Amino acid sequence: MTVDLTPAEGVRPRSSLALSEEVATGKPRYRRSRGRTIAVVSALILAATCILMVAPFLWAAFSSVKPTDVAFSNPPVFTFSPTFQPYVDLWQTTSFYLYLINTVVVAVISTLVALAVGLPCAYALSRYGGAASLVLLVLALIFRALPRFAVVLPMYEISKSIGIYDTRVALAAALIAINQPFTIWLLRNFFAEIPRELDEAAMVDGCTRFGVLRRIMIPLMGPGILTAGIFVFLFAFQEYLTAAVLTDINAKTVPVFIATQIGQNLPLLQQASAATVLLTLPVIGIAFVAQKYLVAGLASGAVKG
Amino acid sequence: MRRREFWVLVLPSVIVMFGFMLVPLYRTVRWSFQKVEYGQPGTSVGLSNYTGALTDPRLGQATLFTLGLTVVVTAFCLFFGYILATLVNQLRRARPVVLGLILVPYVLPHVVGGVAFSWLFDTNFGGIFNYVVNGLTGGALGDPLWFTDVWPNRAVVALNVIWYMLPFAMLMILAGLQGVSTETLEAAEIDGASPLQRHLFVIIPSIRGVLGFVLLIFTMDVLRVFDSLIPLSPQAVAIGNESIMLYIYNVAFREGAVNLGLGSAISVLTILLILVLLYPSIRNLVREAKAAA
Repeated sequence: MTVDLTPAEGVRPRSSLALSEEVATGKPRYRRSRGRTIAVVSALILAATCILMVAPFLWAAFSSVKPTDVAFSNPPVFTFSPTFQPYVDLWQTTSFYLYLINTVVVAVISTLVALAVGLPCAYALSRYGGAASLVLLVLALIFRALPRFAVVLPMYEISKSIGIYDTRVALAAALIAINQPFTIWLLRNFFAEIPRELDEAAMVDGCTRFGVLRRIMIPLMGPGILTAGIFVFLFAFQEYLTAAVLTDINAKTVPVFIATQIGQNLPLLQQASAATVLLTLPVIGIAFVAQKYLVAGLASGAVKG
Repeated sequence: MRRREFWVLVLPSVIVMFGFMLVPLYRTVRWSFQKVEYGQPGTSVGLSNYTGALTDPRLGQATLFTLGLTVVVTAFCLFFGYILATLVNQLRRARPVVLGLILVPYVLPHVVGGVAFSWLFDTNFGGIFNYVVNGLTGGALGDPLWFTDVWPNRAVVALNVIWYMLPFAMLMILAGLQGVSTETLEAAEIDGASPLQRHLFVIIPSIRGVLGFVLLIFTMDVLRVFDSLIPLSPQAVAIGNESIMLYIYNVAFREGAVNLGLGSAISVLTILLILVLLYPSIRNLVREAKAAA
């Protein structure tokens, strides 16, 4: 991979003062070569980091297309004729497609509901200055930090007693609740950036409070809603602990499936590596396509805390 | 905004959050004072779950392990995340590609990342990590027992947590760097501040808020580490590498004789710990709201 660097500190055109100083002291050559060294070192650090970041995934992908007998041999084999048999087996001999559907359905449902429920709440929190608003925000912060088991184990019992254990609905409902604090905080920070004068102008013109939200705020919030949606989707998609406790066979998700394959025999393990690749590719796509929104979402949290 | 409008707008979210979280939370608190099994009404045992938890050496070990992991991971990610953010901040054309690649561990499910990580280290499955490091260093690494020896296993777990948390630290700090005033930086440069001095006395103080926020999120998230231990530390109980969350899971969900009361008591204790850690942030929030009003 090539990393393209803009000139680092030392080679950038300097202010006239610094430049004349360089000429006067007669050290430009020294400075320039040091600047180049810095650029090379930083390119190397970035390249190494990028490689290390994707290495586990690359190795899994590599293992998934080897013939089964050498897939995990030690020392590793680097020449082989690639095969897609593990993918075929994964599709035909396991319920992977079912787990994939479960994962996607749960993530989509929980994203849509979380946004529908969270949007009005976040709008109200960004506009209402009363004590109730502050109390809700503080409670949401505490809820975001709760240890999962404090809510998930009782959910396990409750879902069993009302007969929705191991259903997509139960898992989606749990994830909506668990991710709601994050959702309303993120959306509230985006709403807070829209000036209040806009609400007031619309209401002077005869719009109701709910009309303002529907006709003015939601269209303006497009990027904010997209950002929150991507995060909630990712969280639901990634969730292991909640899914492991609240599902068994019917509503099992892909992360739970992959985790149960470890410690199995070689063909199953190789299918797990194939499953890892199939699950990961779309998410890597998200990382590239939705990068702008991911970064914006994180930045909004960073600035407002 | 009128009070009535506020309540109408927040009601659905409040019902979801409080109905689905407060009811289970109440049950956890009640269970923590009971001897109880799933689906059975419990019998009250007073504080004995709490005394049992606090005198259990396994919980002490789990707490030490979790706190140690939190300190190591947070320190490394803050330091290296800062360096990475500074480097990425200088990129122009390559920036989207580098950011995209660095984001990969962040968007992957942690448990799946952990499984993929285990294949890098497990010599039964190729052990590419040993192979490469021994190849580069002429066999200096040897053949550590990554999964059954205490310290090698801790190293693997810490590396994995760093691997998926570093992107978050880097992105937060990168976002903070956008807000550093270029005028101040130029002034410092003209005044003859060296690059190191510019970082130490201009940039780091002006992103203090962001660094504090990263510290807070790291503390909360690494304290809850669970997913990566499932694939990476199969012998966690035997070699003392259980995290607090894994301990609750083992005690209250997985082991033969499920001890839900004890598990709930530990959950409640963890909540108290988290409240103490959150206290400064909550105080800041309240102070800001008062200043704004």
